[in-house]
Formats: sequence, structure tokens, C-alpha cells
Amino acid sequence: MGRPAAASWGFASDLDDIAGEVAIVGVGEAEHSKASGRGSHEIAVEAIEAALADAGMEIADIDGIMFSPAMGDQLDEQAFRERFGVQHELWTSHQGGGMVWAGTAPHAAARAIRSGAASTILNVFSVAWATQRSSMTGGPGQFHADEQFKANLEIPFGWFPQPVYFSTIARRHMAEYGTRPEQLGSVAISARRHANGHPGAVMRDKALSLEDYLSRPMLADPLRVEDCCLISDGGAAYIMTSTERARDLAKTPVVVSGVGEGHSGSGAYWSQQGDFTATPQVFSAPRAFAMAGIAPSDVDLLTLYDPFTIVTLMQIEDMGFCDKGEGGAFVQGGRLDFDAGGLPTNTHGGMLSHAYVLGISHVVEVVRQLRGEAANQVADAEIGVYGGYTGHMASTLVLTTES
Amino acid sequence: MRAGFPLPDVNWEPTRGFWQAAQRRELQMPRCERCGLINWYPPPRCRACECESLGWSSLSGRATLFSWSHVSRALFDGYASKAPYITGLVALEEDPRVRLVTLLVDCLPEDLTIDMPVEVVFRVLEFPDVEGSVIAPMFRPHS
Ligand SMILES: [Zn+2]
Repeated sequence: MGRPAAASWGFASDLDDIAGEVAIVGVGEAEHSKASGRGSHEIAVEAIEAALADAGMEIADIDGIMFSPAMGDQLDEQAFRERFGVQHELWTSHQGGGMVWAGTAPHAAARAIRSGAASTILNVFSVAWATQRSSMTGGPGQFHADEQFKANLEIPFGWFPQPVYFSTIARRHMAEYGTRPEQLGSVAISARRHANGHPGAVMRDKALSLEDYLSRPMLADPLRVEDCCLISDGGAAYIMTSTERARDLAKTPVVVSGVGEGHSGSGAYWSQQGDFTATPQVFSAPRAFAMAGIAPSDVDLLTLYDPFTIVTLMQIEDMGFCDKGEGGAFVQGGRLDFDAGGLPTNTHGGMLSHAYVLGISHVVEVVRQLRGEAANQVADAEIGVYGGYTGHMASTLVLTTES
Repeated sequence: MRAGFPLPDVNWEPTRGFWQAAQRRELQMPRCERCGLINWYPPPRCRACECESLGWSSLSGRATLFSWSHVSRALFDGYASKAPYITGLVALEEDPRVRLVTLLVDCLPEDLTIDMPVEVVFRVLEFPDVEGSVIAPMFRPHS
């Protein structure tokens, strides 16, 4: 069966060139944990305080805040004002938070800073899903369960929730390209090894070998428990300002060099996506790499939104790090490890093993790598990329050290 | 969560024709009366030609097995009574770009291969502790 032409199933957003205009100057994470009993606002505050300390800033320096109102109980403008006693003018944007927006928020921030609407912008995201799951009041499946086409055409047939979607995708990928279980396992094992070396990772004390992986029960065949991300409580934040101003701040600036955003034409309905075994990184990554003036081979490390091992593997293919269908061979045998000479990927452990904070910690990790501060430091890292994913959307964020 | 979950709301307008047809043991999807495209999931107008005349059109019920997931323990509460079960996507004979989410029945996981021919069967779908039932199109290996 031939593959559909890329143009037939999705498209890229037209984003104006903001290369080099802004930098990430502060990053912070809340504690990542299993059910903590904490609320998402309390977690967000901890992340923001950590990001401010990292940047050497006061709360009064923040004049813009980005969050994602669609995703659970996020710290919004009002809650931010109340928690921090902020009275001054704030530029606010709903185009922030995690998932794809962890990657595209710097683009919106650059435009706001260019226009003079704000000078120093915070993006924050937090979840208390481990706590909520224990009380059955929400969590990652709720959005899908509330969607009418899914409720009337998918859920009655048991095609729900996410592990079922992605096991169906993984099986098709295996059939089309010969992708094997131990190749998916290699993605999980590299992530776990990185988490084992990262003091903030939820799975820091739990090792995972290929033998362990292959002996684990199927959750939704062909995906095992270890192919699926954690559910955890946690959050992260990062602070952006103009690159010019960033040079006077505490930490080495990490410059936003390229941003891309891609969409699937079938929306949030995976079942109908024209290319079932691909992600909209096909549309997003080339735009971001063009804006940054780089090729995939220039990238020193990658963090990828990884709800499932197959999503890591597909994004690597779709971003052009290997040919479509070659992802299995590309990742196998630990080639995503930070020190293996392959493509260091999810060097903090990703959502599989670090924390399920929907990608915002992935951006924090790229920043730390480019500063030389990472727990699993990639030698001489100068160009790092975050790949965001939200099913029907993908984003690509290219970060660089100053040249 | 809506009462009746995980049964469909057979009166929800966009998919009512699908479920009404299933009660008559027919498989129907909206087909554009101008260009003939099967439009799935049902949109307000044709995805190809934007024509607003979409009629519920009967399909052969023959398809190929596009992919599937074998769920040994249900991952959501409403489906606990059905596990283990096989859910997946079938690509329609009339237009293999159109994939229907369905249950695979009368087979074991080891009987299945990608792209094998399958055919529709209509079965009662009901859940313990949920009022009501529907007749739903499910698929089995083509005999
Ligand atoms: Zn038409």
C-alpha cells in the first residue's frame, strides 16, 4: 500500500520568523511524584519560584504569563495574582502550557516582546493527575471521553483510552515497517536509564533491562506497561525575555532559533488520520529547522513528547532524523542514550520515566543541556530540539547556545 | 459522564443514521450525493466538494483489517465486563481510506493478520448495570 502524500493529510502553520529574538533565561520544576495530595496551583507556584530563582529574578520582573486554560485546573492570571500578590499590568496568553504549546509558547512570547506588550514572560504548566486519579475526578482520558464522536463511534467498541489508540498505531507500524518489540523496548530502556541518572525523576530508583521489558505483561497488545508514560503530579515553568536583555542575566542564554507547528487534517480522530503511522512532525519540523537554518544532522540532542514509545519512534522518523520506517533500527540497542554516540533523546527520562508533565520538563531539559547543567550531560551540546505532540498537532522548538 | 456510557447516544444527530441503520442490521455511512465520497466521521458538508447533500448510503460490510489492539484487562470502567476483547480499525471495501472502529469477534488474536479480509456481523451490545442495548456492527474474519 502506498503512503499518502504528506500534503494530503495535514499542514503547517505559517509562523513568522522570530529566530534569535528571544531566549529562555530561567527554568524551574516542582517536585515530580506519585500522588502527592497537592493541588495543581500549589505545584505551579513551586515551579515558578524555582524558575525565578534560576533566572535571578523577582516576581515583579514578570510582566507576561502563558498557560493552558483547556488543560485541567491551571494557574491562570487571577490565581497567579492571588498567589504572588501581583498588582502590576500583565500580558496574558492562553497559548502556553505543555504539549505542543510547550514548544510554540516561545513564538507567541517573541511576538509579544517584539510588540512591546511584555518584556519578560513566564510559561507554566502543572498537573495533579496522580492525585486526581486516586479520587477518580479527572485525568488524561476525560477529554476524549467527553468528545461526542469518540463517545458515539469509538468508545462503544472499546477503542479507548490512549493506550488502545497507540497500540493500534504501533501494530500497524510494525506491520508496515517491521518494527519490533525490542526496538520499542529500547526507547523505554534509554528513557529509564536517563531517569536513573536524574535526581528529579519519578523512576530514578527503578532499573529496566530488555529482559525486564519483554517479560512485562501486555497492557494493550502490542504495548506493555513500560511502553506507556507515567501518571504523576508535577509541574515546570520557564521564563523568556529578549536575547539582548538575556545577556545581562544570571545564566547563559538559551536562544529560540526556530519554531514549527503542524496539524493533522483529521483533527483529534486518530482513526481517520491519512497517514496512520505518522505524526504532524512531518509538517512542523521542516519549518522549525528552516527558521533555525539547521539540518536534522546538526541536532545534538532531542526531547520528544513521549506518551508512548511508538510516539518517540514516529517523531524521530517524521522529523527527518532517519527515513520513514527506519525508526526501529535507529533507536535500537540504546542509540538514544545520552552517551552512546547516537541521537541523545529524552535525556531526563521523558514522560515514560521522568515525569508526566506533558512536555514542559522536556523544554527545561533542553535548556539545562545547552547550559551544560544536565544530570546526563551530552558533551558539547549546542543545538537541542523539543518535539511537542498533541495527537492532531505537533510542534518543534529549536534551542541553541549563542553563536 | 453521560448516563448510558459506554453505549452510544443513538439520538445524537451526526451519528443517528449510523445507529438507526445498525438496528436494521445495515451498515451505512454518509455519502456525498454530488461526488460520491464517503464522508467519515459525519461532517456537515462533503470534505471533497463541500456539497451539503450527504445521504446515508448502504455499504457491503466487506473490509480489510487495518489494525487492532488486544486488550486483556479493560482500561476504563465501562468495559470491564468485555475483557479480554479485540478492538480495531477496518478499512472499507468501498474506500479503504475510510476506517471504521469496531470490535473483532468470533476469532482469537492469533487468527488475525494485518490487511486480512473481514466481514460485518450485527450483534447486541450491552453492558451490565447500564440500561438499554444497541445492535452494533462488528467484524469477523471473512469465511
Ligand atoms: Zn462531495
